[in-house]
Amino acid sequence: MTCWFVKRDTFSHWSRGWLQPLAIFYCVWFIPSSARAQKNVFQQDPVDHYGSRFLAVVIVLGVALVLFSLFRYRGVDSGAASWAILIAGTAVFPMILSGFGNVLVFERAKTVQLCGSCHLTMESYVDDMENPQSNSLAAIHYDNRYIAENQCYECHTSYGMSGTIEAKEQGMVDVYRYYTHTFRLPLKLRHPYRDGDCLKCHSEAVKWVAAHQEFQQGIFAGKLSCMQCHRESNPAHNVVAQELRP
Amino acid sequence: MSRTAIRTIELDPKIIRTALIAAQVLALLVYLMGAAFLLHTNGGTLFLFSLGAPFLILVSVVALAGVALYRYFRRQSLFAFALFEPGDILFQQGDCADFAYFIQKGEVEMIRRDQEGETVIARLSEGQHFGESALISNTSHHATVRAATRVRVAMLGKKKFQHMLHFVYPAQGDIMHAVNQQAKKQDSKRARMSSQGPKGETT
Repeated sequence: MTCWFVKRDTFSHWSRGWLQPLAIFYCVWFIPSSARAQKNVFQQDPVDHYGSRFLAVVIVLGVALVLFSLFRYRGVDSGAASWAILIAGTAVFPMILSGFGNVLVFERAKTVQLCGSCHLTMESYVDDMENPQSNSLAAIHYDNRYIAENQCYECHTSYGMSGTIEAKEQGMVDVYRYYTHTFRLPLKLRHPYRDGDCLKCHSEAVKWVAAHQEFQQGIFAGKLSCMQCHRESNPAHNVVAQELRP
Repeated sequence: MSRTAIRTIELDPKIIRTALIAAQVLALLVYLMGAAFLLHTNGGTLFLFSLGAPFLILVSVVALAGVALYRYFRRQSLFAFALFEPGDILFQQGDCADFAYFIQKGEVEMIRRDQEGETVIARLSEGQHFGESALISNTSHHATVRAATRVRVAMLGKKKFQHMLHFVYPAQGDIMHAVNQQAKKQDSKRARMSSQGPKGETT
């Protein structure tokens, strides 16, 4: 991490000044927050907010320990102190980073920003969802905030442990295919969209029950699907012909 | 006379050093992945951090544990082992005594150096030991020892040797007996040589 706010000529007093702890504090506390999209306090995810700061502290301390060990001992184990620093910097801190980091991975893997980060394939879907003029189901749900956050994830993952794990597994495969350019366009769902992912929210809503009284049994029995009726007026996404964007 | 050249049968310290440095470099990569994920979360950084980082941690921990275990077992083992080529000097007369040596294979020559020159005072072979008298008397070596053939010796460190003598009382008597016998042999050999004149085994 580089702190560009520190002027070049202040580096001469770097080692004895008070700027060093201040710079570390800046790097640890503000960079993780500036790297993420700014949100109102009530919209902040506490896991992401405090987790990212904790991990930043772990990274700074871990890097400091490893660099100190490398420059001080140069790979030679000379006594208990060198071993303690070596084990802390090389094993303990990385394990903490990886362990707690995976909690953050699970949190951030749900975000729309992450889905949209695969620009070549997903950007058109995210653009459509965020477009107020679009009549797609995704856009309606997003614009009206029927789903508060993580909109892609909420609609494309069945609730429950196995759904989440399945989504992560498939996500990893998707990321691999994206970066190795082995994906095929147009994108297709691996299996037909599950009505359960609509019904988990709608099935007990008063408005929905009133509007779907005559179809309810058929929908619950799996004889009717949501998209049978809604595809025409409100497609899931308004991405007609998907092409690679530069 | 060639200088002391111990080739202990151990891992090259360079390998251990390389393993430790490699483990630290891998740890730095893990931190880098973590920082990249925190600062710029996308599919790539998430993929690397969630799958690549644990793998790198595993490799670095295995390297670290390997070195630690090696160090532990080396410290726990009673003997260090060393190989010497013919002509190598195991220690010089007057050197500080650090080890007692037990010959496992090969032969060595004990050489006494004085004003008249260098004299081979004994030739020791497999199963015999040397260097322990200086450890017992806490003095420097009274002779130079040179490998006559390719020699493999087990070396017992000073502390461990003294520890052994302290706790295994009968060993003290055996070793003192062996040392006295050796000293007597050497004295009689020297007496015989001095009565024969300066030719003998003087080199």
